[in-house]
Amino acid sequence: MALLSRKERNLVLDPLTDDNPITVQVLGICSALAITAELKASVVMAVSVIAVLAVGNVVISLLRNVIPNKIRIIVQLVVIAALVILVDLILKAFAFELSKQLSVFIGLIITNCIIMGRFEAFALGNNPWHSFLDGIGNAGGYGLILIIVGFFRELLGFGTLFGYKVLGDPIEKTGLYALGYENNGFMVLSPMALIVIGIIIWVQRIKNKELIED
Amino acid sequence: MSKLTDKNSYTVIFAIIMVVVVGSLLAGVAQTLKGRISENERFEKQQNILYAMGINNNQGATDVAFIPATEVAEKFDTYIKKQVVIQGDQITEDPEAFLIDIKQEASKAKDDPNYQRRLPMFIGEKDGKTLYIVPMRGNGLWDAIWGFMAIDENLRVEGVFFDHAGETPGLGANIKERFFMDPFTGEELMSNGTFRGVTVAKGNNDPRNNRKDDHRVDAIAGSTITGDGVTAMIRRDVAMYIPHIKKLINEQQ
Amino acid sequence: MEHIELFFKSIFIDNMIFATFLGMCSYLAVSKRVATAVGLGAAVIFVLAVTVPLNWLLNEYILKDGALVWLGPEYASYDLSFLTFILFIATIATMVQLVEIVVEKFSPGLYNALGIFLPLIAVNCAILGGSLFMQAREIPTLGLALNYGISSGIGWFLAILAIAAIREKIRYSNVPAPLRGLGITFIITGLMAIGFMSFGGMLTGGDEGAEASEIGAPVMGVETEQLQNESNNTDKTISVLDNQTLTKE
Repeated sequence: MALLSRKERNLVLDPLTDDNPITVQVLGICSALAITAELKASVVMAVSVIAVLAVGNVVISLLRNVIPNKIRIIVQLVVIAALVILVDLILKAFAFELSKQLSVFIGLIITNCIIMGRFEAFALGNNPWHSFLDGIGNAGGYGLILIIVGFFRELLGFGTLFGYKVLGDPIEKTGLYALGYENNGFMVLSPMALIVIGIIIWVQRIKNKELIED
Repeated sequence: MSKLTDKNSYTVIFAIIMVVVVGSLLAGVAQTLKGRISENERFEKQQNILYAMGINNNQGATDVAFIPATEVAEKFDTYIKKQVVIQGDQITEDPEAFLIDIKQEASKAKDDPNYQRRLPMFIGEKDGKTLYIVPMRGNGLWDAIWGFMAIDENLRVEGVFFDHAGETPGLGANIKERFFMDPFTGEELMSNGTFRGVTVAKGNNDPRNNRKDDHRVDAIAGSTITGDGVTAMIRRDVAMYIPHIKKLINEQQ
Repeated sequence: MEHIELFFKSIFIDNMIFATFLGMCSYLAVSKRVATAVGLGAAVIFVLAVTVPLNWLLNEYILKDGALVWLGPEYASYDLSFLTFILFIATIATMVQLVEIVVEKFSPGLYNALGIFLPLIAVNCAILGGSLFMQAREIPTLGLALNYGISSGIGWFLAILAIAAIREKIRYSNVPAPLRGLGITFIITGLMAIGFMSFGGMLTGGDEGAEASEIGAPVMGVETEQLQNESNNTDKTISVLDNQTLTKE
């Protein structure tokens, strides 16, 4: 990692673990709950947010000296919404199939508070290169939690991973199901995502005692 | 000492410039791409209609493959024999029927009780069978859901296609997956001469969907509201077409 | 009747927090104490009550396909719906900032109580969610839109009040140290959401329910009988499987 200085490396790596947006900063919870029933959706969302946050952070960072302080929230929201809508329109015209698959995520990305949160907390006060790294790191940490939750919810809820029946067929009673195993239908529902994240936080704080709240 | 960016005049000028730049950029892009986008959307509609008829490029057991956009217009003309518009008791042929916006028609009918809603329908032919393809539209959990249902001469479902604007990925969004759409095929719509539609049912006793006269298909676990939306959409929209389809079938015989 | 139904539906069945999980971030971050939770909750009710009707007007007269027809018949073909997100967000952010300025000017006391929560609201996805739901569900009148804004705000208020009260009490409980604070809050919210799912049954009361019971669920006994008859002459394994599912239920 000779490319990045120590500080720059920390910008990317910290949010993956000790400064994770979901489990520590409490940002971007809504989408982490809604779309983690399946691993595939979690991965798509993670990749989209990495792209949007990295680009958005750079744009806001470039504009940071011209944005009037009083209306900065409006400006930030307008910038991000305009970017996402532009990409959506272009995809609709030139890559229609892809846009069909991503259209569901557009609303979730614009309303994702991780994006606003990082604009406000980081991009407004730092240079574009650092903001870019911060975007990658934070969206990466967010995506990591999404993928962990998606993995457990799909495995325990549907008995599949990426749609492949890894535990056997529940209707034909093969594989694990032959032994009397049943899918836990509850895992499919959003409230269970909250509980899975709660357990992730528990595990994380057992490993890193500094994060424990009084 | 106040910074330039804190001044009121700067704020106002910045806001005005931002609105103008962003607004014209978006409007410009939307306007230039409008043609392509609406063309893509038209192809998509034709692909969906053909898919409901069972004309698709599906190969594996799980993929949903449409006729490619480059061929769809030609295939559409081959398989769809007639496009009709139903208004009141009138059934008229109209080659532009698939351009009718059923969302607009529904809201017009809601605003004005005297308005006679225009109902587009497509009459296709496959393997010597006449199929009646009807569009439907309803609400899921988050946003709109819609689809097409192909109905054969015995008022059985030949095939369906569903799509949605923003259902939960991994849950309600799966209404456009094969494992949800395929079981509709062959389901009876009528029971003793009255319309019952197809219910998306939880706790279905028939998970492999071997019984075709129970008016039920298996729901997707965790997406009750989307499933209920599909049921309601079929019950409301398809029901409007049934008397007209019956009439057309009688005329043919 | 329409109003009462929408009111209770938005508070309990479609509760912003427990059914659609919107506004979760500020819900988790600002629920440590009841007093602050009440402040934020009140601000959310107020902002939703203002922005939902406002966005309803925008949607009805500017954004909808053909909405510009009031300018003259030649404008009927314009469809500006691609501007939905940006216009809704701009309205919300403007309203929040406007309210902040006005309150600061005329009521410093209220500003101190509410002030710090107002900027938080602009990024609260419950607010944008409220406007987008209003659009997607095609709420027909301005009155109903106002009702929807207020009642979904009240639903959010109740949710944050409940969790704040629980969090104040749970401080005296012996929660495992790593789970204290955020962890246990996530898990409690999950359990509360499961509880709120039971309100979903309220929807199927009334007309819809009558129709559903008539058409939907067949009487169990009849279904079993049919299955047994079938099992005599058709594929045995399937009906055995079906009966298994039946007994499990």
